[in-house]
Amino acid sequence: MTADNDRRSSGAGSGDERRVGIDRRTPVDPAAAAAGERVADREREVREAIRAELLVDMEEEARSGKATTPAEPVIELQGVSLAFDRPVLEDISFGLYPGETVCVVGESGSGKSTILKLILRLLVPDAGRVFVDGQDVTDVSYGEALTMRRKMGMVFQSAALFDSMTVFENVAYPLREHVKMREDEIEERVNETLRFVDLDPEQVADKLPSALSGGMRKRVGVARGMAARPKIMLYDEPTSGLDPLTTGTITRLIVKLQRELQVSSLVVSHDIRSVFRMATRVVLLYDR
Amino acid sequence: MLAVQEYVSLASKAIRYCFVRPFYVNDVIQQMDTIGVQSIPIVILTGFFTGMVLALQTSVQLEAFGATQYIGKLVAASMIRELGPVLAGLMVAGRVGSGIAAQIGSMMVTEQIDALNTLGTDPIKKLVTPRLIASLVMLPLLTVITDFVGILGGNVIASVYVGLPTGTYWQTVWEQLASGGFTLRYIPNDFIQGLVKPFVFGGLISITACYYGLQTRGGTEGVGLSTTRTVVTASIMILVVDYFLTQIMLAAFNA
Repeated sequence: MTADNDRRSSGAGSGDERRVGIDRRTPVDPAAAAAGERVADREREVREAIRAELLVDMEEEARSGKATTPAEPVIELQGVSLAFDRPVLEDISFGLYPGETVCVVGESGSGKSTILKLILRLLVPDAGRVFVDGQDVTDVSYGEALTMRRKMGMVFQSAALFDSMTVFENVAYPLREHVKMREDEIEERVNETLRFVDLDPEQVADKLPSALSGGMRKRVGVARGMAARPKIMLYDEPTSGLDPLTTGTITRLIVKLQRELQVSSLVVSHDIRSVFRMATRVVLLYDR
Repeated sequence: MLAVQEYVSLASKAIRYCFVRPFYVNDVIQQMDTIGVQSIPIVILTGFFTGMVLALQTSVQLEAFGATQYIGKLVAASMIRELGPVLAGLMVAGRVGSGIAAQIGSMMVTEQIDALNTLGTDPIKKLVTPRLIASLVMLPLLTVITDFVGILGGNVIASVYVGLPTGTYWQTVWEQLASGGFTLRYIPNDFIQGLVKPFVFGGLISITACYYGLQTRGGTEGVGLSTTRTVVTASIMILVVDYFLTQIMLAAFNA
């Protein structure tokens, strides 16, 4: 599937059991509408309000997006299928283009997080190809996969901070591991990154992850993911298990990363409200 | 069958990574502290009491033949060849093996292993290899401590209960070492036998613990299960492998 027809194919394709709806910066879309049917009625009103609020903004972005020449996708899935005991993903195709935030939504158990594992090559698809930065990563060796993963920053659902290390060491980990940086440069970068995610380095740097609240852990997770300044960020349920205020903070953070650092983001979420806040495009996974 | 294959593949990777960059020297040192230094009290205790009970039991038996002056010989032979390595191995399997399995297991269920992978670090290299190296180095050292403290415990019982002079005791200990013959003229064969074993046990314990740790699935319950399996499997492996090592080495040194 080329970049071009990827953009044209909007919404519910016809055919296979499980399909992907693709909406290129068009807020009122059959795919999104299908998602709407699955959420409760009382959610609908709020969503409409948020949509209206974002409509102007999104149309503007869509126009400026059209003005530029179409770029190569930084991540592309082509007809990817994967089954464990039962089929998890069937014939999934979509692309992530530079500078956009794509949200993958779908019911629990629809294989959203599996997509991230496929992109990171923690799993290998049964069929189809996965491209990262133009490189076909479907069949790369374990060693090459380790190198390839450094292009991406991943934020885990449970933050997955190393609990034997302090916050500082956690954020410094990708820098110490791969980037040849002097210790004072590392310290500067870590403090800068912590401030970017609205944490005070003086207060949190020496704490252990277990001493932090859930929202703070999540933000440290984002900081660790972006410490080496990857061009691609992947988020697994960034707002799950957080209170509405913290959810807002994390959502704003993802938008801030996209706007200020031009990071391409792929967000897996079932929190429709924050998806509408941050997504430039929505991918919907559903059963027929 | 699949489990054996995975176990062997983990072991061979961990060994291979001992010689491939990058080296996580800090992790190795930290593990040496956790596995080795912090196990010293426990092996001193077990070694001392085992040595004492050995001396007590053998003195009763030897008294019947009027041969109590050979207590040192028997205690040294049992401690250095068998009990030192096996006891140190079992204690470390319980104390350290369970710890490793629980730590890696909880890293597994909290996605920290996935996080290492996505940050471009090979978890085997970062977690398994340092623990393997630390165990291979520290277990023989712990065994030496166990042996020495055990023979010392025998000495205490020999002089307090049997009234054997300390000089005679240590002389018979030396006789036992000399009777086994020497390698390279100065190294008693008993020492070699007594140090090859803990080296092998160290490898078994760390790899088994890491294997079950990395196999952990299903939350905190899974972590508990991995810990139990590690201690049981490692202990049984130590006892079985000990038998075969003994047979091999007896044949080698008596030939």
